[in-house]
Amino acid sequence: MAKNKFETTSNGVPIRHKPLGMRIWNNRGFYLMFLPVFIFVLIINYWPMLGIRYSFYDYTVKKMEWVGLKHFQDMFSGKNSSDFWRSFFNTLELSIMKLLITTAASVIVSVFINEMGNLLAKKTLQTVIYLPHFLSWAVTAAIFTLFLSASSTGFVNETLKSWGVLERSIDFLHLPTWWRPIFYLINIWKETGWGTVIFLATLSGINPELYEAADIDGATRMQKIWYVTVPALANTVIIVLILNLAKVLNMFESVFVLYNTRVYDVSDVISTYIYRKTFMAAVPNYGFTTAVGLFKSIVGAFLVLVCNWASKKIRGRGII
Amino acid sequence: MAKDIEFRKPKTKIHLFDVINYIVFVIVALIVLIPLWKIVVDSFNAVGVYQFRFWPNRPTVAGYLTIFSTNKLYRPLLNSFITTIFGTLLGLVLSTLGGYVLTQEEMPFRNGLSYFLLFTMIFSGGLIPEYLVMRQLHLVNNMWILVVKHGMNVYNLVLMRNFFEGIPGSLFEAAKIDGCSPMGIFFKIVLPLSKAALASIGLMFAVTVWNDYSTVQIYINNRDQVNFQYILRVMVMDGDTPTTQYAVSQNTLYYAAIVVAILPFMVLYPFLQKYFVQGVNVGAVKE
Repeated sequence: MAKNKFETTSNGVPIRHKPLGMRIWNNRGFYLMFLPVFIFVLIINYWPMLGIRYSFYDYTVKKMEWVGLKHFQDMFSGKNSSDFWRSFFNTLELSIMKLLITTAASVIVSVFINEMGNLLAKKTLQTVIYLPHFLSWAVTAAIFTLFLSASSTGFVNETLKSWGVLERSIDFLHLPTWWRPIFYLINIWKETGWGTVIFLATLSGINPELYEAADIDGATRMQKIWYVTVPALANTVIIVLILNLAKVLNMFESVFVLYNTRVYDVSDVISTYIYRKTFMAAVPNYGFTTAVGLFKSIVGAFLVLVCNWASKKIRGRGII
Repeated sequence: MAKDIEFRKPKTKIHLFDVINYIVFVIVALIVLIPLWKIVVDSFNAVGVYQFRFWPNRPTVAGYLTIFSTNKLYRPLLNSFITTIFGTLLGLVLSTLGGYVLTQEEMPFRNGLSYFLLFTMIFSGGLIPEYLVMRQLHLVNNMWILVVKHGMNVYNLVLMRNFFEGIPGSLFEAAKIDGCSPMGIFFKIVLPLSKAALASIGLMFAVTVWNDYSTVQIYINNRDQVNFQYILRVMVMDGDTPTTQYAVSQNTLYYAAIVVAILPFMVLYPFLQKYFVQGVNVGAVKE
């Protein structure tokens, strides 16, 4: 406030700022409007943060007892470390692979859509391919569980058998060798279309003169795609990857609805591990699972900050 | 030489590329549509078959009758509707109020409030502390958890704020001079100008709440309180089908349940598609 005393208008009259108390009073209506938001965020988001202290306790139905860093030792190198690290590396592999594969598929489809001359065909196709994004993971999993089942009504197995591709049914979702490829395929089916939205927005912003110039230089269609369209997407691809890299640890629902005891080795991720250790254990220790959750939150925060920094470097604004 | 011909009759030349392009497209569209069509056909088919058919060969509506007449199935459906409606309303109220307040440049502590919200996008207490808080609030085994959990969404609030910032400030000035209160400006100027944004963000809330399965799986054990996504998953994956008065094959019931779970959205989708896409672009285009 002090330095404001010396501010003057252009003709030298000192500006008197209203005191803070008055400015707050003048804006009382806005504070009142913000109050519900404030209360909700405080309760839903900030109150749980106090619960982080449980990660230093043994917290079961029977007792609550300070144990220091015991849970973190268990997690990183002790009795639970093999399951924990398995879930950690599965999370990284599944979400990063999923991100790369679906982004690549979206880019390819966007380039093709962009090349389509007929506007009606273009719109229709967009409407169709956006659809699966809005299906819930429960619905998606139900559909693919039924389609991929090894029973006599399993669409995929029986069709492949009738074509002579398969000798006998493969229980895709219950076999460790098949689970990941199937998981990626389902993600491609569900998210590729929606992923094109942002790329198509970029493509519609390409200056048409670039294509005209390429025409004059005698570029073929493939050359135009390769030298004009694809480079224009490069920046957007990087941004999409950064935006999503910040959330790689958040994977839960998509895995939870598709995995089962037989494929834990290739499918168990951090969140599903926390869930099982808490809600399916005979004697859950909230302390240990809070500790795992804290690890996830800290790494997640680090990723968000790094991605935010990278995004600011590249496009001048952050992601949060 | 070839160029000359093309120049004279540009329309008649069919590029090989276009042919391939359209073939790719038909295939892509079919990959999306065939599973969806098969679900609908099989939900009307009395016997489970593996083949893809265009039309049910033994038509029946027993699957749907079962869902709408079995308490254990229609109750979750009702819960889904209730939570979606209230979750969307709460979400819209909070994100418009918060978004509007954050556009007030002269308000002291505006940045502080922004950081107060943004911090929640970086760090969270984690699943277990959240669960313990919800238990203290009596929201465990209670379907209103869906409303509370999704009603406040910082990301959507920021989208709303970005949209409000696009409204010309002169409108507010004019209203202020005419003696309009902040509340008055909000209801008489801001909201009427924001119908498209409200539709987009409202849809985002609705889809999130309707589609949520994991919250129910984590927080709700009581079958009276679960939503339809949960029941669908329990039926199809765990084979936990309630006994009913209708003779209906499991397959028919499963597929009918899938159709019911996506129907409200499918009915609205063709009309509202532009609002769905807008929602993304509000966030993406803002500089």
